[in-house]
Amino acid sequence: MKLVNTLLFVAVMLTALLVVHTQYAARRDFVAIDDAKVALRQIEQDNTRLEVEKRAQATPLRVETLAKERLRMRSTTPAITQYVPAGLVTGVAP
Amino acid sequence: MSSPSIHHSSSPLLASKTPVWRSKLIVALIAVGFASLGVRAAYIQVVNNAFYQKQGEVRFARTLQLPASRGQILDRNDLILASSVVTPSVWAVPDTVEASDDTLKALARLLEIPFTDLKKKLADTDSSFVWLKRQIDQSVAERVTALGIKGIYLRKEYKRKYPEGDAAATVVGSTDTEGKGIEGIELAGEKVLAGVSGRRKVIHDRLGRKVEDVGEPIEPLAGKDLQLSIDSKVQFFAFQKIRDAVIENKAKSGSVVVIDAVTGEVLAAVSYPIHKSNAEGAGTSARRNLAFSDTFEPGSAMKPFAIALALETGRVKPQTVIQTAPGSLVLAGSTIKDAHPHGALTVQEIIQKSSNVGTVKIAMQMPAREMWQVFSSVGFGQKPKLQFPGLATGKLRPYKSWRPIEQATMSYGYGLSASLFQMTRAYTVFATDGRLLPATLSKTEAPAQGERVFSPETALEIRKMLQMAAGPAGTGPKAQTDGFSVGGKSGTAHKQVGKSYADNKYRSWFVGLAPISRPRIVVGVMLDEPSAGRYFGGEVAAPVFSATVAQSLRTMGVHPDLEVKPTITSVAVPESF
Repeated sequence: MKLVNTLLFVAVMLTALLVVHTQYAARRDFVAIDDAKVALRQIEQDNTRLEVEKRAQATPLRVETLAKERLRMRSTTPAITQYVPAGLVTGVAP
Repeated sequence: MSSPSIHHSSSPLLASKTPVWRSKLIVALIAVGFASLGVRAAYIQVVNNAFYQKQGEVRFARTLQLPASRGQILDRNDLILASSVVTPSVWAVPDTVEASDDTLKALARLLEIPFTDLKKKLADTDSSFVWLKRQIDQSVAERVTALGIKGIYLRKEYKRKYPEGDAAATVVGSTDTEGKGIEGIELAGEKVLAGVSGRRKVIHDRLGRKVEDVGEPIEPLAGKDLQLSIDSKVQFFAFQKIRDAVIENKAKSGSVVVIDAVTGEVLAAVSYPIHKSNAEGAGTSARRNLAFSDTFEPGSAMKPFAIALALETGRVKPQTVIQTAPGSLVLAGSTIKDAHPHGALTVQEIIQKSSNVGTVKIAMQMPAREMWQVFSSVGFGQKPKLQFPGLATGKLRPYKSWRPIEQATMSYGYGLSASLFQMTRAYTVFATDGRLLPATLSKTEAPAQGERVFSPETALEIRKMLQMAAGPAGTGPKAQTDGFSVGGKSGTAHKQVGKSYADNKYRSWFVGLAPISRPRIVVGVMLDEPSAGRYFGGEVAAPVFSATVAQSLRTMGVHPDLEVKPTITSVAVPESF
């Protein structure tokens, strides 16, 4: 009887310790997942910000200014445009 | 007889007799103590559990608001017109701020606010929260953090960014600092763009780390994106041209509208001048899109509608001759004049030369009711069915109240008013086979059907007349565009000042179609009070029309319908071996 009680006591203690450890591990995993989610949100936000910045760098105003001033380009007109019928475009190497 | 007792020691010296009842009493007291603890535990755990649960949560649980990101506004080619990005804002708990004046001066410089204002905000020690500067750049935030001032904190907020800047500002609109739409599409599309915030309840540990969720978190619902019919390139070029024209002609303002003549989509709607979208404190009127919100008397740009009605009802033919000599006409005591006397003109030439007298002579053959019906059916005096705030209705009085002189003046654009958008959309009846297209600001692929107003034959005849008007002998030759046939009508209307018309204040219009052989776009241009010497619509508005048409059709990949003398030269280069 004494042995059974001792075994039960040890079992209770072990289970209690396991519960505490499991809870600790769960919280540690929770913190890790939460940190990962925060990092994901941060990356998504950075992605959006960079997309907007990229767009701001490619507005028609900036493109036109750079093309005219730096590359000395000019706007096209029908007189300097070679119009190719749509059917002839297929098969052209990129 | 001695009472029962317990001997605690065998030594007679230490032996003392303790009564049994005392030990029983102690056992009973201990039992009562344990029972009290049991009852108390049951009370806490079972009976009053909710209260203690709540108290525990108050100390360790926190509810976090999860802000929802606002949807993007995109142009027809998926390019971003408006997007929300996370930006830091600086706040403080005034009574906990510890910093020297030099450090605070450095902070004021970084935040670009006067030092005195900063001091005033930090002096409000009754408040536990005060914004110092909202929505600053990330680099500035890093420098603020580097100052290491105790009691100053950063918080992330969403800020609306508009990569196209001024060019699209009057269409896209703007939001307030809370991210709520206050102008343009931002306001019109608020329900779609705005997301729904989420909520999350978490348990914090002693170090302030989140360690556990309480219940199921409510995830934020991000706002949906809005794709507009606007083509950002067409919008930009139209903005650029009208801005240059307003400056060159010293006009008060100018607007351009470009509508796809197949789908009814609004490709561009610009007005100038404007304030920057992100500018704080800019008045509502400063940001509104004049093309939608302001109405004016359209002048001669109205003539094609009266002529089209006369053609439709068979009252005249394109070649019918109308005598306009001597260039003036007296009607009900009022004199109607032409800018120049023209003599006998065909109906085609009346549009080409923009004869008021000829138009009035034709219009007075028709009942007022028929004219009113046509004007109404092309959208005048009706609020446009467009998802945009501040749309003007314009003025078109019921025909029963028209006096003969008013019927006459309305035929050439006085006595009624319309916005540039209404005017441009009305011209879709000539760009199609006589159907008025339903305009939209949302991207759509399918060709619009629209309601028939005129027959295809009438629409074709008017297109020919509009082409003549934009030709060498017309009133708008400057509308001509290299490689593309165009047609359109200029308008120059005296501005009403008080109860009469000002002699030296005008509004100049040009509304037209291109390519005239198979219209793809309808373009309307309006300049308010050009004051640099020239004021005729054909002089100041037609060149903007021409430039806008050229750029728009090129952007849309439309093939020229006119012979163009190629200037492409190829130089033979010796082959290298």
